[in-house]
Amino acid sequence: MEPNQESRSLIKASIISFAIAILALVFFILPAEYNLDPTGVGKQLGLTVFNGDTAAGGDSQISNNQASGEQNSVVLTVPAGKGIEYKLSVKQFKKVNYEWLTDGGEVYVDLHGEPAGDTTGYFESYAIATLPEMKGSFTAPFDGSHGWYWKNTSSKDMQIQLLFDGDYVIEGLK
Amino acid sequence: MSVKFKLSYLLYPLLLLMALASVEAFAHGVDSSTRNFLQNNSGVQIIPFMYIGAKHMVTGYDHLLFLVGVLFFLHRSKDVLLYVSMFTIGHSVTLMTGVLANIQVNAYLIDAIIGLSVVYKGFDNLGGFKHFLGKQPDPKAAVLIFGLFHGFGLATKIQEFQLPQEGLVANLLAFNIGVELGQFMALLFILLGINYWRRHQSFNKFAKTTNTALMSAGFMLVGMQLTGYFIN
Repeated sequence: MEPNQESRSLIKASIISFAIAILALVFFILPAEYNLDPTGVGKQLGLTVFNGDTAAGGDSQISNNQASGEQNSVVLTVPAGKGIEYKLSVKQFKKVNYEWLTDGGEVYVDLHGEPAGDTTGYFESYAIATLPEMKGSFTAPFDGSHGWYWKNTSSKDMQIQLLFDGDYVIEGLK
Repeated sequence: MSVKFKLSYLLYPLLLLMALASVEAFAHGVDSSTRNFLQNNSGVQIIPFMYIGAKHMVTGYDHLLFLVGVLFFLHRSKDVLLYVSMFTIGHSVTLMTGVLANIQVNAYLIDAIIGLSVVYKGFDNLGGFKHFLGKQPDPKAAVLIFGLFHGFGLATKIQEFQLPQEGLVANLLAFNIGVELGQFMALLFILLGINYWRRHQSFNKFAKTTNTALMSAGFMLVGMQLTGYFIN
């Protein structure tokens, strides 16, 4: 540690370090981390891509959006006393394998499908149960939106981990 | 001598790999598979918790930056051991009490303070405090105090997972041991790198630049975390 530092050089070092930090924050870090992009530089550089549309309603982490063959995994939060839906778009006669489990306790589940283009509110349930976990598969009887409705009847928020693979396009949380 | 010289070349790709690994992970962030594990685990699981603790230290660039700052001018192994122990004591105390006493501190604010610790150490290394205050504030005490804040940061992250009470103490101890192992690994690489560099002219030539860069990185962390605090 050099004791004879000039004040001037110290102040210069501090100002330079601060200025570089501000520039990096404004141009790169804030656009990438928070989608805050006052100068527009972040967007031009494509740094705001990390803040695309994220699924509403909880902590979802989708490892892959488009899938065929590879397994997808998502962790969903079902708030106490509330229900959520997680859907996949599946073509007729295509198969989906799935497995889900809660972080403790049972949850009401309705695995069902809604035909594409239907506006009457019709849906067909494949399984209705109250369970802490479930494993299985289904083959879509028609083109449309297929997936799970979970309702958390307890007074504590619940996490569900869902694993699935097959032939589908993820629609996500509804 | 020539063998030594060649061996040390291996360090660069290794350091580069470490740097890449750090970019992969958020400072303090926990990736989704780790999150899955933490939320679905039950009972005592020593090795997984140790692993998470170690991974956290090796990939947490805010901790690593602070360590670089602390180690920059230490070359006696006695000093290294002493300073690292102060840091370890600091963060172990707050990590354990924070979780067990259920003390919640806003993670953004804690992380901003950790950023500030990097700025502090960079300025200290430049001789700033000694110059402006007439004397350097006790660097061991500073490391201990910032160690306490770093531990609060770890505690706050761990608490977000609402770990089951069953086996909590054992799991926390395992996590803490993992943190130390990870820190030890990170230290080893940082020390090897710095000690190798110290033997070259460029070390002294770039000492000022390096510590200015350290301060700058610290300011970036502070800015990023404070922004996060205000918009969330």
